[in-house]
Amino acid sequence: MSRPAPNRPLDPRRIAVIVMHTFTQLARMKVFYFLGLFAVILLGSNLFNIQTFGRPDLEGIDVLRSIRSWSLGTMTLFSVVLAVVATALLLPKDVEDRTLYTILAKPVPRLDYLVGKLGGVLLLIFVSLLAMDLLMTGVLAIRTHLLVGEQLRTVAADWPADEREALRRAILDQGASWSLHGAALAVFLRAAVIASTAMLVSTFSTSTLFTTITGFLIYFIGNFQADARAMYLGGAGTGPLEKAAGLAVALVFPDFQLFNVIDAVIEGSTLPPAALGMLAGLSAFYVVLHLFVSWLVFAKKEF
Amino acid sequence: MQPAVEIRDLVKEFRPAGRKQPLRAVDGVSLSIAPGEVYGLIGPNGSGKSTTMKALLGLVQPDAGSCRIFGNDSLAVDSRQQVGFLPENPYFYKHLSGAETLRFYGKLCGLRGAMLEARVKELLELVGLSAAGDRRLGGYSKGMLQRIGLAQALVQEPRLVILDEPTAGVDPIGSRQIRDLILDLKGRGITVFLCSHLLEQVQEVCDRVGIIFRGRMVKEGPLDELLALDDQSELILRDASPELLEKIRALVAADGRAELLRAGRPRTTLESLFLRETAERPEP
Repeated sequence: MSRPAPNRPLDPRRIAVIVMHTFTQLARMKVFYFLGLFAVILLGSNLFNIQTFGRPDLEGIDVLRSIRSWSLGTMTLFSVVLAVVATALLLPKDVEDRTLYTILAKPVPRLDYLVGKLGGVLLLIFVSLLAMDLLMTGVLAIRTHLLVGEQLRTVAADWPADEREALRRAILDQGASWSLHGAALAVFLRAAVIASTAMLVSTFSTSTLFTTITGFLIYFIGNFQADARAMYLGGAGTGPLEKAAGLAVALVFPDFQLFNVIDAVIEGSTLPPAALGMLAGLSAFYVVLHLFVSWLVFAKKEF
Repeated sequence: MQPAVEIRDLVKEFRPAGRKQPLRAVDGVSLSIAPGEVYGLIGPNGSGKSTTMKALLGLVQPDAGSCRIFGNDSLAVDSRQQVGFLPENPYFYKHLSGAETLRFYGKLCGLRGAMLEARVKELLELVGLSAAGDRRLGGYSKGMLQRIGLAQALVQEPRLVILDEPTAGVDPIGSRQIRDLILDLKGRGITVFLCSHLLEQVQEVCDRVGIIFRGRMVKEGPLDELLALDDQSELILRDASPELLEKIRALVAADGRAELLRAGRPRTTLESLFLRETAERPEP
């Protein structure tokens, strides 16, 4: 009997081929060019005083805080939309075009295909967020520099040196910081969890629209997962039906409240490396769990 | 000798939504293809041809029976190292060029570097797409897509090539090119398993055929044996004079047992006529 070379699952080179192919496929789609351009324009517009439109009360440090909020909000919007839509698009499109047949007819384990597809989406999101993070850092650095000069020249012109230094420090704290980069990384981790969720849905769905809508619904409900968990764990006063509903939500949906650290960073809090590490670990747990269940469904799927 | 393909008592049922009874798409099909053979599976739409091919590729799981490729279970990923597959009406990735498409599939099969580049060049030449290799597939014609599809099926030099309707929607010239490629594969000793609606083409390229109807194999065997009419003989003459033909007629009549059923001029096929008047017409 002829025995060909074994093709073991999770081959890094084969996965890298699918990752790079998926990245190229998404990057060459015009819709994502426009989405990326839109995000870059939104971030770049922070160079001008758009924060004060309709909010003439904003001044000084609040302007920097508004830029941080605006920028991370743009990154969140871009990454969530990309994570759901791009992931939802990939599998059904391959089935519809029968390209999946030609790939699975090659010595490609189905797990490698799934990991590669998800990896391609995540690589695109990561590269996009990295570019946006650099842009945000540049804009904040310029605006912080201008603000320090302006505040020291006008508001604190006749303040004592130590108070001037305190003001300068307070302004710099609202500028670009490692915590802000950590928040951008948290935006990526959240997108990774959302993308893996969409991947899981797309393994049993045959419609891109169904996967997209379900993906966004899961993201929405996931923001209340911690409340549902608290309801299940809650003591007296919680009925059995409420407990069961709380348990169901807590088990099925990822906890997106974990990523509220991003809002805290916008408000000026620091993000310790340990907290970021914990967040990365929990995100990895969700991604691996979703991939594993996706594989269980996909391995038996017939085309 | 170990068969290239061995399908034994294959059964596959589907459960369409809203229907209680399962639909039996393939019902106890068995067939065996020897290495180097060109085998054609023919049958009307919905007769189970594609399902049989998908079972052989592990894209659907048999409810009963087994499929083996060179002795390996076709559900095992390793068995696909030996197989190239061209599905019916393939689209491929429109954002890739012809050469990029072949590189992608080659890398999936473990090819790298200079060996991969040489293989890509060789395949583009084989399917006549060297000039269009850098163009994106979005701009390819139907026939070009089929040919690049055939090239991707051959990228890892498989010993078995499975072709599902390889000439579907292709014009007669493109169809002839694909037919010539299949004959070329046969010349190289590659086993070909194809299903097609174009019976004339199957007749031209296949050594053996199987006729599948309502999920069952109703006839199978070497083409020559299946098509031969046991009680008839054929005599084709060139430059025969009317006198000679008359003598033959008289001899047949004198025999008493034999009967002359038909005499006349053999005809060419419409495809041959079309090709002679178009693709093979000399430049003015």
